[in-house]
Order: sequence, then C-alpha cells, then structure tokens
Amino acid sequence: MIDILVFFLAASLLLYILMGGSDFGAGILELLPAGELRERQKKVINHAMGPVWEANHIWLILVVVILFMGFPKIFTTLMVSLHLPMLALLLGVVVRGTMFTFRHYDSIQGPRSQGAYTWLFGASSLWSALWLGIIAASLNRGLIDNEAGDFWSAYVAPWWGAFPLSVGGFVAGIFGFLACIYLLGETEDEALRRRFRRWGAVFNAWVVVSGGGVFVLSLAEPVSLARQFLGHPLAMTTLLLATLLCGVLWRFLVKTRVVWSRVIAAGQVVLILLGWWLLYAPNGAITVQGPLSFYEQAAPEATLRQLVIALLVGSAFIFPSLVFLLRVFKARRPGEEEEH
Amino acid sequence: MAVAYGQAMDDLTAARATMAFSLGFHIIFAAIGMTMPFLMSAAHYLHLKRGDKVSLELTKMWMRGVAILFAVGAVSGTVLSFELGLLWPGFMEHAGPIVGMPFSWEGTAFFIEAVAIGLFLYGWKRMSPWVHWATGLVVGISGFLSGIFVVAANSWMNAPAGFEWVNGEATGIDPVAAMFNRAWLHQSAHMQVAAVQAVGFAVGGVHAFLYLKGRAPELNLKAMKIAMVFGAAAALVQPLVGHFAGERVAELQPAKLAALEGHFKTSTYAPLTLGGIPDEDTETMHWGIEIPGMLSVLAHRDPAAEVIGLDQYPKEDWPPVLVVHVAFQVMVGLGMLMAVLGLLHFWFLKKGKFPRWFLGALAASTPLGMIAIEAGWVVTEVGRQPWIIYEVLRTQDAVTPVPGMVYHFLLFLILYLGLGGMTVWLFARQIRVTQRKVEAS
Ligand code: HDD
Ligand code: HEM
Ligand code: HEM
Repeated sequence: MIDILVFFLAASLLLYILMGGSDFGAGILELLPAGELRERQKKVINHAMGPVWEANHIWLILVVVILFMGFPKIFTTLMVSLHLPMLALLLGVVVRGTMFTFRHYDSIQGPRSQGAYTWLFGASSLWSALWLGIIAASLNRGLIDNEAGDFWSAYVAPWWGAFPLSVGGFVAGIFGFLACIYLLGETEDEALRRRFRRWGAVFNAWVVVSGGGVFVLSLAEPVSLARQFLGHPLAMTTLLLATLLCGVLWRFLVKTRVVWSRVIAAGQVVLILLGWWLLYAPNGAITVQGPLSFYEQAAPEATLRQLVIALLVGSAFIFPSLVFLLRVFKARRPGEEEEH
Repeated sequence: MAVAYGQAMDDLTAARATMAFSLGFHIIFAAIGMTMPFLMSAAHYLHLKRGDKVSLELTKMWMRGVAILFAVGAVSGTVLSFELGLLWPGFMEHAGPIVGMPFSWEGTAFFIEAVAIGLFLYGWKRMSPWVHWATGLVVGISGFLSGIFVVAANSWMNAPAGFEWVNGEATGIDPVAAMFNRAWLHQSAHMQVAAVQAVGFAVGGVHAFLYLKGRAPELNLKAMKIAMVFGAAAALVQPLVGHFAGERVAELQPAKLAALEGHFKTSTYAPLTLGGIPDEDTETMHWGIEIPGMLSVLAHRDPAAEVIGLDQYPKEDWPPVLVVHVAFQVMVGLGMLMAVLGLLHFWFLKKGKFPRWFLGALAASTPLGMIAIEAGWVVTEVGRQPWIIYEVLRTQDAVTPVPGMVYHFLLFLILYLGLGGMTVWLFARQIRVTQRKVEAS
C-alpha cells in the first residue's frame, strides 16, 4: 500500500512540475522583455494554457491530500517548520492564478490594465517558482527541527540560506525551459518560435549553471546533496544522463521537432527527480531529530487502503478525461479565431 | 466570540480569525461554482433548442463570470487545503487519516470539474454543440459532488465517528464510517440547497435590478427568470431541510442547540425564542418573543419533551452564546423571508407578469442568500466551540505553535479584500459591455 501511495505522490509531483511548471514558466517568459512580440506571445500563452490551467494545478492539491491523509506526521511537520515559505508560495499561487484568468476575461482590454495583469502574473510566477525550490531544498537538508526553542531555528533556519535559494533559481530555470519547449509546439508564428528557441537555450544554460551552483553550495550543508550524490553511483548516473540529454535536445530544438523536444525535456525532469529520489528514499523529509520515512510515518492500513482506492478510481476518471481534453485542443487549426 | 485577551490578537484568536475569513471568502465562490454552471447550462439549453440570440448572449455572459469566479474559488480553495495544516497541525495529525477520505474523493471531483471547465470555456468551436453543452453540465455536477464531499468532512468534526480515542491517539480507524457520520446527510443536503438558493437570489436580484433600470430588458428578464426558478424552488425546500438539521443538532450536539436558541435552563415545554439577546453572565434572554412549547416540538416533536439547556454543561464548554444565537436568528429570518419571496415568484410567474415592486424586492434581496450562508456557517462552526472535534479535541490544543499569526491573518485579509474588490470591478465592467452589445443589436 505504501509503495503505491508513494508512487502516486511522486507521479503527482512530477506531473505538477511538468504541467504546472510550464504554466509557471510561461509567466516567467512574459516577465522578460518581448518588444513587439508581447501581444502575440500573450495570445499564444492564453490559448496554450487556458484550457489546461485548472487541471494543471490540481496536481498540487493531490500532493497535499495524499500527504495529509496518508502521511499526516510528515505533512504537519512540514506545515509547521516551513510555515513561512509555504505562506509565500500560497501568496504567489493566488496572485498568478487570478491574474492569468482576470487578464483573459476582463471585458475591457485596456493597455494599462492588461499590462498590470501581465506584470503581476509574471512576477508571481517567478516568485512561486523560487519558493517551490526553496521548499524542496528544505525537505532534506536536515535543519527542520520540531523541538527548537527559538523562532529563528524553528521557523527560519530550516529554509534560510544560499543553498535553498540556489535550488529556487534552478527550479525557476527548469520551469522557464519547460515553458519554451511546450510553447514552441503551440504556435506557427516563426518570430515567436525563434523567441521560444532562444529563451529555451538561455534557460537550459541557466539550469546547467545553477545546477552546478546547487551542487557546490550544498557542500556546506549539514546533509549535503553533493556528497550524497558522489557516494551514490546510480543517482550520479541519472544526473549525468540528464545533463547529456541537453545535447540531444539541442538538435531537436534547432529542427523544431516538437514532440521529441517535449519527450526529452520531460525525460530530463524525470531523471533529475529520480536522482533526488534515489538519494533520499524512503524519506519524505530529514529533520534534526532524524529522517521521516514514508514507511514509518504512514497512516493506519485502513486509511491507506481507502486512499489507494480513491486514487485508483480517480485515475480511471482523470486520465481518460485529460486525454480527451488534450485531444480536443490538440487539433489546432491555424489562424482560427477562438470565440469566448 | 471569545476575543482578544490583552492588547493585540493572540495566536489562537488570529488563527481562528484566519480560518473563518478564508472559509467565509471561499464559500461564496464555492457556492457560485456549484450553482452557476447549472444556470448557464439552462440558458445554453434554451439557445440550442430555440436558437434565440439572447439566450446565447446570456450563456456567454454568465460563462465569463463563471470563469472569473471559478479562478478565485480555485485559488482560495488551494489556500484552504494548505491552511488546514498551516493553522491546525494538531488537528490534521489526528484527523487526516480519519477524515481524509472525502477530501481524496473531492480531489477526483475537482479534476473532472477542471477538465470540464477547460472544455467548456475554450471548446465552443471544437465540439458538437450538444457535447459542448454537456461539458458545462459536468462542471456543475462535479462541483456539486465536491461540495458534498467537503461538507461531509466538516460534519465529521460535529459528529466524530469511525475511530476510538484512547490516550490522545486515534485507533481503530474506519474512514468509511467517518465519512458517513451522523451529521453528513443533514449538513450536505442543507448546504447544497443553500448554494442553489443563495446563487439563485443573487443572480436573480442583480438582473431584476438591471431590468428595472431599463437596461437590455429582454436579456435581464430572461436571466432573472432562469435564476429565480432555481432560487425560489430552493428557498421553498430550505426551511424543511433546516428543520431536519435542527432536529439532528438537538440529538448530536445539545450544547450547540441550546446556544443557538439561547436556552439556558433544561426544561420540558421549552419555548422557542424569536429574536432576543442572550446574556451569558446572568444566563437569561432579553427582549425575545417566546412561543411556549415550540422548541420542544421542533427539537423532539413533542411539547412535553425535555430540551437540554446550557446548565448541563460546565461554562468552559459553552460556545459563545451571543454570536451563535444572533447568527441563527439571521439565518432563519432570512430563510423565511426568502421562502415568502419564492412563493410570490411562482405566483407571478404563473400569472405571467411581475409587478415592479416585486422586482424591486428581488433586487433588494440580492445578498440575502449569501448572508444566510455565512450566518449558517457561523452557527455550525462557532457553535461547535470550544471543540475542533466535538468532545474529542479542543481547538486550543490543535492550533499551530507558530507565533505571530496575526500577520498571517492580516496578509490574507489584505489579499482577499483586494481580490474581492477586483472581482466586483471586473463584473461591473462586464455588465456594462454586455449591455452595450445587446442594446446595439
Ligand atoms: C441560504 C442559506 C440558508 C438558509 C436560508 C438557512 N440555512 Fe441553515 N445553514 C446554512 C444555510 C442556510 C448553511 C450555510 O448551509 C449551514 C452551515 C453548515 C451547514 O451544514 O449548513 C447551515 C446550518 C444550519 C444548522 C446547523 C447544522 C449543524 O451544525 O449541524 C441548523 C440547525 C440550521 N442551519 C437550521 C436552519 C433553519 C431551521 C432554517 C430555516 C429556514 C435555515 N437553517 C435556513
Ligand atoms: C465554507 C464554509 C465554512 C465557513 C464559513 C466556516 C467558518 C468557520 C469559522 C467562523 C470558524 C472559526 C470558529 C471559531 O473559532 O470560533 C471555523 C473554524 C474551523 N473550520 Fe470551518 N467553516 C466552513 C467550512 C469548513 C469545512 C468544510 C471544514 C473542514 C473540512 C472546516 C474546518 C474548520 C476548522 C479545522 C476550523 C478551526 C477550528 C475551530 O475553530 O473549530 N470548516 N470555520
Ligand atoms: C476546509 C475546507 C475546504 C477546503 C480544504 C477546500 C478545498 C478546495 C480546493 C483545493 C479547491 C480548488 C479546486 C480547483 O482547483 O478547482 C476548492 C474549490 C471548491 N470548493 Fe472548496 N474547500 C473547502 C471548503 C469548501 C466548502 C465548505 C464548499 C461547499 C460547500 C466547497 C466547495 C468547493 C467547490 C464547489 C469548489 C470548486 C471550485 C469553484 O467552484 O470555485 N469548498 N476547494
């Protein structure tokens, strides 16, 4: 049971990063200077993200529900120690979600209001991506302390520092990169495609550079990512493989082979997460008091069984309906005017 | 409410205020998200059947509204699912495994809802008209289901079931029994009817107002009629469902019933008090109108039945009587008023003509349903105090140890007030544009 749940947890997280992530990345892209392409880019992003926007962020809710039902101790530990970054993340999620929708559905599309929506959407996307990375980094650095006496070590130290911030930068890079790869296939407009390719390259380079930074900075951490990697050949291999794939991705990108680019980009993310998982499994978090293992912190069997049933039945509805959604909107007709 | 000891808000009060405010905000959008898709589908149906332009215009106008409101509902709901842990870790640690089940089903319902809304909003030209119509209906159905699930989770806090509480730990957990606890049926039924009622009156009221102002009369009259069919029907059923809820509360949570009636002393032939201000210190009611024996009848179907009063409980186990009583009077009073309006609506609908005074009354009752929902939740949630899980875990033992909660509260206060303001502003803009469009054609 626990294995199935951990699988669902990992799958939801992965899907959130892939689908929600490209959504965040689109926001980051809109924050970057775009000159006269701005309007066209906005339109493409609206049409590419609009239909899936709602579905994308439910993966996050699924992560939360699996955690609090299946692994309540891990959930509450994180929500107490990481209260502040969680709050920051929520703030971003609220602003970006509403601004994206308001921008599209405002019936008077004035330049000032549209500009304000776009800026808020972009800034909050970058903000949320940074905090997601910070939270991810805080899970396993061994500073979460449920017994700490003072404010700093209980609620700030667990996520404070250069290392979590560098992971934030890394995550923002991945999101931007995913967005470029995704959007590339959503438009026929050559100028835009050039832009997405160019920024895709920049983000990709940034991911490699900031990834290096993460590695170096982690050397000073109590539980060091870098040293763990070095001691784990398999995890090391996944990471190297992910890096090597950059070269392959390049070739497909240059030729605008949309499907392959997407597959490889997704593959890279899977490999990075896999490496992470190999290092830390089966722990959901590492605290000062020791690791919190999914196996030791799970809810009683009766609960796990119900949760698995709900997830399996849910999947039987969710995946077909998602496929249907994608099928309906993939049949892209060039130059088509949407009506809404 | 037991408020502010000392200068600033203490952490427990701030956490409660945050929860109350976040939920009070979310519920407005949730109610709309559960009901609007049905109104929209009704208008859309009329268009597809008869091909009239006005119904199409109306469908699209409502659709834009739904899209905006849905986004606010979704993000505020996401906030809530985090806040359960951010504010009440001591609660979630125990309650998660017991009552997580409705939340996990709710997740599935959200997914279907999210996919369906994507299809409906963006799929006008990509599906056959009736398939497209059906996606709109699916939004409503799955939204409705998610409402039932989440209220089932809440009802468990009122009627804990499906576990045994031994030495501060839950054992023998049975999530199915927890979900179908003794309070789930009355709470879910009452809430779902409330959503339909509140949204029906809100939408009907706005359109009645616009009609009276002479704006796009055909569109607004049609909109008013569609919305009010839902609102009026729900308003007529609601007192019955509410009465059912009251009977269940009398059985499950006598202290809550006593608080909402301001019933201090256990007695037979207990009177029903209309209005009035309860005084906790002297344990008396001031200025209420008493109907002898009526409370015994309502709670136990027998004027001679004994109704437990607050005197059966130590004072530290009392909910804040004043707040709960006033909220209950507001809810019931508005419920009765809306039932009368609902009856009148059907009468005038049958006659085929709505007098202006009645439309004016409808316009004036735009916010009533939403106010009743907020009041109803205050009755339920504040009436459960001081317990977070009734007679199992106290709210004060569940609150987060994180200090400075007042800043958390202020952050969301500002954020949500801003969002609420923007939503209203967007709607004003939209109404203006649609009317110009309809009047021009
Ligand atoms: C349009 C909204 C609305 C209206 C008109 C009414 N209610 Fe209500 N009431 C609610 C909306 C609501 C609610 C928001 O849906 C609540 C809060 C929690 C719940 O389950 O339902 C609620 C709770 C609630 C409770 C507490 C249930 C519990 O804690 O388990 C009682 C006893 C009643 N109601 C009784 C009534 C009666 C006798 C009404 C007479 C007309 C009435 N309500 C009208
Ligand atoms: C949307 C409608 C709801 C509203 C308006 C609402 C309102 C409130 C209010 C006013 C409080 C503060 C009570 C007090 O401290 O005096 C509260 C507390 C709380 N509510 Fe609700 N509630 C709603 C639904 C729910 C649901 C569906 C759940 C859970 C499944 C829930 C869980 C809680 C919890 C955990 C607390 C904090 C503990 C407590 O004060 O008892 N509420 N809510
Ligand atoms: C603690 C209490 C609650 C939690 C944790 C919660 C959680 C959520 C979440 C995560 C969403 C977003 C789903 C999406 O993205 O579409 C949402 C939306 C929604 N919630 Fe809540 N919710 C709570 C209370 C309620 C209550 C009391 C109701 C109604 C009775 C309700 C009804 C809905 C509905 C219908 C939606 C669909 C979206 C919309 O219409 O805006 N929720 N909720």
